[in-house]
Amino acid sequence: MADNDVYVRRRILRAIVLGIFIVLALRIGYIQLVDTKYKRLAAGNVLRYEVQYAPRGEVVDRNGEYLVQSKECYDLMVVYRDIGREGFDTTRFCNIVGIERKKLESVLRNARMRPRAPTLVLNYVPKEVKLRFEECSFPGFYTVYRTVRQYPRKIGGNLLGYVGEVSEDFIKRNPEYSSGDYVGMTGVEAAYEKELRGKDGVKIVEVDTHGAIKGSYMDGAFDSVPIPGKRLTCTIDARLQAFAEELMAGKVGAVVAIEPATGEILVMASSPTYDPDELVGRERGNNYMRMLHNKRQPLYNRAVKAKYPPGSTFKLVQGLAGLQEGVLTPETQYPCHMGYSVGRVHQGCHSHASPLDLRDAVAQSCNAYFCYVFRDIIDNRKYGSVKEGIEVWGDYVRSFGYGRKLDSDFLGEGPGYVPDRAFYDKRYRGSWNSLTVLSLSIGQGELGCTPLQMANLAATIANRGYYYIPHIVKQIEGRDSIDRRFYEKQYTKVDPRYFEPIVEGMWRGVNMPGGGTSWRAYLPGLDVCGKTGTAQNPHGRDHSTFLSFAPKDNPRIAISVYVENGGFGATIALPIASLLEEYYLTDTITRPQLVEQVKAYNIYYPIYAEDRK
Amino acid sequence: MPRTGNNRQISLFEGVDRVAVILYLLLVAAGMVSIVSASYDDTISGFFSLEHFYMKQAVWIAAALGAALVILLLDARYYHMYAYYAYAAGLVLLVAVLLFGREVNGAKAWFEFGAVRVQPVEFVKIATALAVARMMSNYSFSIRRTGDLLRVAFVILLPLAIIVLQNDTGSGVVLCSFLFVLYREGLNKWICIPIILVAALFIFSFLFTPLFLLVLLVVIFTVSDAMMIGSWRAHAVFLAAVTLAAALLYLASVLFWDGALSAYVSAVIVMAAAVAVVAVYALRKNISAMFVTLALFVGSMIFVPTADMIFETILQPHQRERILSFLGIVSDPHGADYNVNQSKIAIGSGGFFGKGFMQGTQIKYNFVPEKHTDFIFCTVGEEWGFVGAMVVLGLLCALILRLMQIGERQEEPFSRIYSYCVSAILLFHVMVNVGMTVGIFPVMGIPLPFLSYGGSSLVAFTILVFIAIRLDASPRKGLMSLR
Repeated sequence: MADNDVYVRRRILRAIVLGIFIVLALRIGYIQLVDTKYKRLAAGNVLRYEVQYAPRGEVVDRNGEYLVQSKECYDLMVVYRDIGREGFDTTRFCNIVGIERKKLESVLRNARMRPRAPTLVLNYVPKEVKLRFEECSFPGFYTVYRTVRQYPRKIGGNLLGYVGEVSEDFIKRNPEYSSGDYVGMTGVEAAYEKELRGKDGVKIVEVDTHGAIKGSYMDGAFDSVPIPGKRLTCTIDARLQAFAEELMAGKVGAVVAIEPATGEILVMASSPTYDPDELVGRERGNNYMRMLHNKRQPLYNRAVKAKYPPGSTFKLVQGLAGLQEGVLTPETQYPCHMGYSVGRVHQGCHSHASPLDLRDAVAQSCNAYFCYVFRDIIDNRKYGSVKEGIEVWGDYVRSFGYGRKLDSDFLGEGPGYVPDRAFYDKRYRGSWNSLTVLSLSIGQGELGCTPLQMANLAATIANRGYYYIPHIVKQIEGRDSIDRRFYEKQYTKVDPRYFEPIVEGMWRGVNMPGGGTSWRAYLPGLDVCGKTGTAQNPHGRDHSTFLSFAPKDNPRIAISVYVENGGFGATIALPIASLLEEYYLTDTITRPQLVEQVKAYNIYYPIYAEDRK
Repeated sequence: MPRTGNNRQISLFEGVDRVAVILYLLLVAAGMVSIVSASYDDTISGFFSLEHFYMKQAVWIAAALGAALVILLLDARYYHMYAYYAYAAGLVLLVAVLLFGREVNGAKAWFEFGAVRVQPVEFVKIATALAVARMMSNYSFSIRRTGDLLRVAFVILLPLAIIVLQNDTGSGVVLCSFLFVLYREGLNKWICIPIILVAALFIFSFLFTPLFLLVLLVVIFTVSDAMMIGSWRAHAVFLAAVTLAAALLYLASVLFWDGALSAYVSAVIVMAAAVAVVAVYALRKNISAMFVTLALFVGSMIFVPTADMIFETILQPHQRERILSFLGIVSDPHGADYNVNQSKIAIGSGGFFGKGFMQGTQIKYNFVPEKHTDFIFCTVGEEWGFVGAMVVLGLLCALILRLMQIGERQEEPFSRIYSYCVSAILLFHVMVNVGMTVGIFPVMGIPLPFLSYGGSSLVAFTILVFIAIRLDASPRKGLMSLR
């Protein structure tokens, strides 16, 4: 072997060694320094993002009593990949967790589709079960802390609303939510979703190849703590609400009470109601379907959605509009002999002294009187025709909050209905006059009002001419004030000076010796003012309604009670309102026998009759 | 102080190559650090509990250092004298383990003495290296004689065959690295190159896309041709021209013919044309070496698709798997894929400086399989980053080059050949092991020298290296003259 050859060979071998090491070094440099995908993959291997659900805000009533609380419960999750090849003892698992084997199998089948993603096995797992579950180890399964709603007073189902899991559709529209989140569906829960929700946190944990948690990532440097939802203080008086619901039991209708000086809703009871706890937890679906198929529609919030004819309580608006229009003075007298007759048109009335002035007409609820007033308003010459007249009248009515949403903070508020010129032109093909629409004068006809609107009328009269927009939330934790619209006086188109005779009429209706229609609402020393209403309707017996506030000076409560098919206003609506007023103003119940009487007063509703099979 | 036969008092460490020993110690230390991190198990109480793998490794390190001392104590002549006996003993051990051994991970390659498991193949590498060195250093031996070459080949291939029978192909193939030594000792390069090419193409045709292979081949052949003939500039121009032509052709096909030619087809067309041009050029200039390169290139170009085709179309899937498994390329295709993927993720996530000692999440949480044995390099890469990986690779490279340098300064062919054998074995291990962890080599299941956990391999590598150091340290004169 020539020396030169050996020299070349040595050099080549050294080059080979160096070449191999350079290739290795380049490759290592590439995957460590250039290609970033491995860092991502490593994180995907090791890091698990656990959502820390924020507890939903709690809700208390105006006196600090809990209406809604959050109770801890757990979601049982599984990461299919981490179960392990040998599987687990399914019988034991089912026994401990309390899940049917069939359901477990179907969950696992789904989980297998996305083996790395956490899949929900069972929700609403109570704490005791969770503790028992954690004593035995089932690899791949883990629990997530959550909160569910619970209702210590079991009142205000429709008022408070319920919480449900978000749907796929909802997530698409609201990307800040993700699968498994809860969202308020109705009532206060929905209206104040943003405040109640809080902010979920995230905890990044490191897991090993079996999915077992090994500790927090970077000592929690990237974790975020869940921020609990804000606590809401409702304007509701829980005791009064409970009492109202109790009194309304067995009847269909609604009670709304407002504090006139603030517009705060003290009571909002829709009857029939339901136990809000029934819409929480695993039985929720079944309970919900049961309620949905209940003919009396407990899930329908009549207090803000129903369209009821206001009946005689509407005479108050009529009188106020007449006074403002100048077609009426408080001293104006009209005769009434069992009704009002023009040609073939007759509007009946009950027997009372005649003639009456405005105050007594209100107190006695004279139909004829308000037929005169109504016709004078809409047939006023200065407007040319009844068609212009009805628009003027409609403006007055709407200024009281009828025929439109009041813009309260409660979602799903209905507008009610106030007919207008276009409506009658269409209905009667253009040929109609004030006699055609005469039933409007006593709150019948096509008028539709929500109980909230009626209560708002009571508050407006109590305030002598203005109202505050009714609202359900008084205070939000961490905020000085609620929306500014709730602090602004809303004036009607009637000057406050015209209210006094109407108030006087309502006072006489309750307190006048010899008796107005509302004499049973008399409470010694409380100066109750009230107006009954008896609304004819196509569904059977008359609806019973009562509109009231007390005391007459510096009123503290304005209330509207509406009982479907309850008969005369004084029959059932009035006692309910009276009992509530007494309870709210004096904190006592002096007429227990009346309470029993009201509770025992069950109404049969042919239109809500259950289909019996 | 031990005394040698001479009157002169010689220190035990006199003449010992300090550089090699220091490199060795650094590598063992790096291995220890990595194994601590890879095998720390917090369910075992006490850091120094012997239940930890790293504590066992510490014991093995002590044993290895003891073995190194013994090696240094022994007279250098013994290695020459007992080379064939060691080889014969190695063969007996191999056969014995084939008959009575214990099967681990599908390979019947282990003896078990109580708690200690020994893998004879690690020591057979030493014995074979000694035997090859002894045979080739024989005065009458000439590698250019076919008979002598066949004898050496027999010495290498016999243990290889037995090891393959043990189903431990990866370890057996290590012995192929002796080609490195044979080349140094004058083996005709036209024997070496085809062997390497076939082996490389066979392995890489499973790992890379045809286009990548073609590019790789062109570059390799052009560079090697340049190395042989010398005119670097012409070759660089050639490479640039070919690249440009292929790129233009591909671009034209995309623009005008709706991409009728894929990048691979364009490259093949350009190369076919280039081969013709080069052939004419070589004929004109009468450069025979270039012809040979060209022929090899064409041959390998044909070989790659043929090997693929045979595999994909002619063989049944189960036959394919059996062959791949026999070659030690894959045992469990999905399993191997998973291992390599996790290994790449671990190393790739290390970044420049790494995650720090005991901070590697992929290692700590068991995402990397065999993390303290075959995949120990993942720990280095993840926890010490690019810096750590380069330091370890640098140490290994330095040790290998140092051993080659040591070989070159020997007067005795035996010592030189043995040193080269050691370099070759180390190089092969590093190349395959590290290549496997970063996904450019198939998984073969052989350890990373000095770093992987395992007593047999650590002690065997220590002995392997220290024999070379002992041979180097022996008085330069007269090893052969003793006979």
